[in-house]
Amino acid sequence: MSQSYDRGLVEDFGRWREFSAGMWAWIFHKFTGWVLIGYLFTHIAVLSTATVGTTAYTNTISGLESLLVVRFLEVGLLAVAVFHILNGLRLLFVDLGVGLEAQDKSFYASLVLTGAIVVASVPTFLAGAI
Amino acid sequence: MADYYSSFDPKGSRWMLQRLTAAFLVVVLAFHFMLLHFVNHAADVTFMQTHLRMQQPGYFLTMVAFLVTATFHGVNGVYNALVNQGLDGTPKTVVKYGLVLASLLLIAQGIRVAMAMAGFIIGPAA
Amino acid sequence: MSTQVTEQEQAETEEESTHQRRRLEEKAERQEVRDRMRERAETDLEQADTVFDLKVFRYDPDIPEKEEPRFDTFPVPFTKGMTVLDALMYARDHYDSSLTFRHSCRQAVCGSDALFVNGTQHLGCKTQVVDLGDSEGVPGQIRVEPLPHQEVVKDLVVDMEHFYDQMDAVEPYFDADELPSGDLEEQRQTRENREKIKMSSRCIWCGACMSSCNIAAGDNEYLGPAAINKAYKFAMDDREGEDRKQERLEIIEQEHGVWRCQTQFSCTEVCPKDIPLTEHIQELKREAVKNNLKFW
Repeated sequence: MSQSYDRGLVEDFGRWREFSAGMWAWIFHKFTGWVLIGYLFTHIAVLSTATVGTTAYTNTISGLESLLVVRFLEVGLLAVAVFHILNGLRLLFVDLGVGLEAQDKSFYASLVLTGAIVVASVPTFLAGAI
Repeated sequence: MADYYSSFDPKGSRWMLQRLTAAFLVVVLAFHFMLLHFVNHAADVTFMQTHLRMQQPGYFLTMVAFLVTATFHGVNGVYNALVNQGLDGTPKTVVKYGLVLASLLLIAQGIRVAMAMAGFIIGPAA
Repeated sequence: MSTQVTEQEQAETEEESTHQRRRLEEKAERQEVRDRMRERAETDLEQADTVFDLKVFRYDPDIPEKEEPRFDTFPVPFTKGMTVLDALMYARDHYDSSLTFRHSCRQAVCGSDALFVNGTQHLGCKTQVVDLGDSEGVPGQIRVEPLPHQEVVKDLVVDMEHFYDQMDAVEPYFDADELPSGDLEEQRQTRENREKIKMSSRCIWCGACMSSCNIAAGDNEYLGPAAINKAYKFAMDDREGEDRKQERLEIIEQEHGVWRCQTQFSCTEVCPKDIPLTEHIQELKREAVKNNLKFW
């Protein structure tokens, strides 16, 4: 047989418009997962100022919190965490074999709920910095 | 197909642990967010307040459990994502032990920080 | 339109051997048939109420002009009840006989013609052209490509060897632990047990599910939904016995077995036989976990 043609994976993401709900869920869950683990390491690093001294700790945190961009990043973090939690609950139900017929609807529900929670939390998160 | 059984994954225990830690984290992460952004405000955090919270044994233990489960869940997730992408052979072994090492370091550092916050080790000069 | 390699030999030879003459006559006949078919296509197109464009992926490593993959567009007159396979056969018969694709039974049981139609996996013979458009009926254009994530051999034909390898890896054949005692004794199965494995037994090895799975695309060693479903069919069959079931579970419990499934559900969505693949894989995961808890 002569050589065959490998179209590769690249064309996958070119077809994003044709992705199904389950595929988006998988992509978003992975993406938010990476963000959260990255944040975990950063978070422990920031909190490590506690081993340096009390003032170092307090100043670092209030210093960061006074920056508006940090507040926005925190809203982003909330969105990422809330989606990961809600979709994670959806996945736990799937793993238990419950509600498989509605799996795509439950994904859309997680998205909508994430959006709602994030929007509702914005005032609290931005308080004191705008 | 794997011809050998990796000691790291005796037949799906990582899968199970990922789900168990997930269930735990749903509750604790939500609680953590609520406490530190809604009940208190992150901008108002001082060492004193952190110290007061961490001094309560229940809270301290919850935070340490949070750290350990989150580290496992996250690092295991990263490992799985890489294997799904096709990570194989030697790079896979290297990554696996690298991730294990990173997790242990993170947990160790996290516990040190927790102890410093709670004042269990002789605190550094303020 | 498609590229035809032109015949240049007719002008040259003057050899009078009968064999040669016969060969040339037959070649001229075939050319005539092709021209007639093309004329017929033109009349068909004029007379048809609806005409749609069939855009087909073309690739042929043996022919220099076709080494670079590209799309050919064929105008096809719509007839009632036309399937994608019908459209492809029309294009092949009327426009370009080199258009290559697998097909056999035309009734969704052989699994030969799994294709990537308008961005989703479908069986060519099972997909009505009229269902591909929106509510108005026949679409203006239908895009047909070979299954993704597999190497293309020619046009719409993909290399299925990897798929078959994964299927074979789960030992997809019935194998009872022990035979019944008497000579005329049957291996009985209850109705409930049959119901349980009914859906999983419908697999026609078309490969649509595996080509839709992103994990199968990334991880070459992943068994894939079809193979795991096959394992499910036999593992859940009561007639096989505990020992055999344990052996089967051991195969799919390996790192690139059931654990790689991320419940993307694409396999379930594209399966032409409506097999609830993800559900079966999930059940096997639970089975494996329960199985291992027993040994702690």
